[in-house]
Amino acid sequence: MKEGFRQAMAWLHTWTGLIFGWLLFAIFLTGTLAYFKDEISHWMQPEIPARSVSSEASLALAQDYLQQHAPGASRWLIDLPSAREPGLSVRWQQSPAKQGERGRFTEKRLDPQTGTEVQGRETRGGEFFYRFHFQLQMPYPWGRWLSTIAAMVMFIGLITGIITHKKIFKDFFTFRPRKGQRSWLDGHNAVGVLVLPFHLMITYSSLVIFMSMVMPASILASYKGDVRAFFDDVFPASSVPELAGKPGQLAPMAPLLERAREQWSGGRVQRLTVNNPGDANASVVLVRDSADRVVHDVSSAVTFNGVTGQLLSSTPQQPVAMAIAGSFYGLHMGRFAGPVVRWLYFIFGLASTALIGTGLVIWLGKRQLKHAKSAVMPFELRLVEVLNIASMSGLTVAVAAFFWANRLLPVEMTNRSDWEVNSFFIVWGLSVIHAMVRRGRNAWVEQLALAALLFCAVPLLNALTTPYHLGTTLPQGDWMMAGFDLACLVSGLFLAWAAWKMQRSGQVPVATRQRAKPITLEREAN
Amino acid sequence: MLLALMLCYGGFTALCLSMDRHHTELLGHKPSVRRRHGLKIAGWILLALSLWAAVSKTGWSLGLVEWSAVLMLSALVLVLLLPYRPRLALSLAGLSLLASPVAALAQQ
Amino acid sequence: MKVKTRSLPVSYRLAVTSRVLAAVVGGYVVAALASVSLTMWLPMPRAEAVVTGMMTSFLVYLCAVLWCFACRSAWQAWLGVIVPSGVLAAISGVAYWLGQS
Repeated sequence: MKEGFRQAMAWLHTWTGLIFGWLLFAIFLTGTLAYFKDEISHWMQPEIPARSVSSEASLALAQDYLQQHAPGASRWLIDLPSAREPGLSVRWQQSPAKQGERGRFTEKRLDPQTGTEVQGRETRGGEFFYRFHFQLQMPYPWGRWLSTIAAMVMFIGLITGIITHKKIFKDFFTFRPRKGQRSWLDGHNAVGVLVLPFHLMITYSSLVIFMSMVMPASILASYKGDVRAFFDDVFPASSVPELAGKPGQLAPMAPLLERAREQWSGGRVQRLTVNNPGDANASVVLVRDSADRVVHDVSSAVTFNGVTGQLLSSTPQQPVAMAIAGSFYGLHMGRFAGPVVRWLYFIFGLASTALIGTGLVIWLGKRQLKHAKSAVMPFELRLVEVLNIASMSGLTVAVAAFFWANRLLPVEMTNRSDWEVNSFFIVWGLSVIHAMVRRGRNAWVEQLALAALLFCAVPLLNALTTPYHLGTTLPQGDWMMAGFDLACLVSGLFLAWAAWKMQRSGQVPVATRQRAKPITLEREAN
Repeated sequence: MLLALMLCYGGFTALCLSMDRHHTELLGHKPSVRRRHGLKIAGWILLALSLWAAVSKTGWSLGLVEWSAVLMLSALVLVLLLPYRPRLALSLAGLSLLASPVAALAQQ
Repeated sequence: MKVKTRSLPVSYRLAVTSRVLAAVVGGYVVAALASVSLTMWLPMPRAEAVVTGMMTSFLVYLCAVLWCFACRSAWQAWLGVIVPSGVLAAISGVAYWLGQS
């Protein structure tokens, strides 16, 4: 602290990076996977076919189904099929939720062509990774708080990293492989600087997404404690008209799709919410597909009276502040992204993950050099080593285990979706134990090799357990299924390469490695 | 997006070559002052052109997103290729610049 | 930190803890008060002012945290957090009182 600004920032960067690095690695890896959550879900429920049908036809089928099965419900939700999510799903809420509580819904998937229920194997699918990356499997709202705190620490890490990196422009194109610790630092800097816009965007946007929860002071001050009024202002379509008490016949909703499109000058409807469907004051809220545009607009919903078709509220012009917040939200979610941009999101997400991972490796590597002569590592360093291994290679094995569980657990098993998730955590836990009993390098090699094996074998496992394997999906052009199998294969090959490199670097005699000058962040700051 | 990518990659390569260290690594000698300036200007112009290429096709909203993505991708590709396949890195830049008028026409 | 001694002195650890508290807790207070001040004074409709205030608060939090570790002593860290909090509280208070009357 007395050594100057850069030194202080380097210290802050190092310690915030270490303490939150393990959690942030998990958040970023699962978040990156979440960009393909629909594709993952599709692979994990291969029985549900991907059929493209018109929105109007699907909506008519959904309305019929709900009229038959949930006529007295207080709210219906209909999610129309889209390019990435070809399923038609309906949900209903029998009775309204109490103020401040989350409602309880029954959910059914329908075949968009016939309107009958489809039953895929019970699984959380890609949603598991999506939810995990901001809820961390913790009860509401603690997980969100922790992940948002982690996001703030990531933000501090990024800024202190920029401040500390003295030669940020001079070393912009610098990457020197095969030079030990030097290469790791070069890699960390390269992946940090070259993908910096993405890292900053993802981190700051995650703060904006939960800002109402973590920074509510201005809401409370400005609205004098009436938080509901604030949310009604921001989400105008969420207010539900009063129950009339008289019964009313809900008109067919398919024509409303076109009327909503008129309001938006194009675009698609993603979801309809019907409030009080049997009532004379039933309202239908049509929400625009967030894939339509980059900026997320929560006020773009259009509301009609369900019985008379009267327009109740339309899309106001989005104010600048909301548009900025909506931009953060839209950029983070990436729903607008077509296949190419989506893959880029995935690559950059992996870059963020690698940024954190390389940082953790460097933190330990630097300090390990000091203790290389002695046979025993001090407890603190051993702790960091175990956590590094378990949070990085262990997590990767756990992800593979999640996919393996999906194929191996019997389809009719009760609570199978819970058990898939349990498999993930059990394997992750085992990786911690493994890292504790094995020496550092061996643990790395073994876990990376196991992950490589599991991922490479996914296409084979798929072929042995389902008829939707590469042999059928490639000729049919079912790129969602085939893409998943191929992506697992490529990931497995990468992990195998990593395991091999790890194994080899252990075979280099210790003397030559120590000749390389230990690089310190402090020295870099000079 | 391909045109923007090509222009970006070319621009970054030019900027990279404008630095003494990298110019020496890749081409064997230090650049003259004129060449350094020329490369720097060319690099920035190419980056600006790639922004125009991205935005003119899809509008500002999606265009800026695609441009940022292309910027980061081309930088990553270049920095990864430089230590392992420097000649490939340079020839890719040359090819990109040669092919960009074709891509520009295709984009119309 | 190139400290060669096996364990760090208690005074050092106390100073670091103090800075951390100033940064985490004090920084949050400054950020929250900054968002409130901004919201109360921005000439926009309420909801927009609130959203703007919340979005910018994280930048304030960042600056507060950086200050707490960049300044010369833990005392200065706390000073750098308490004084702006007071000023911002006063600014918000004025806006609130003006809004009341």
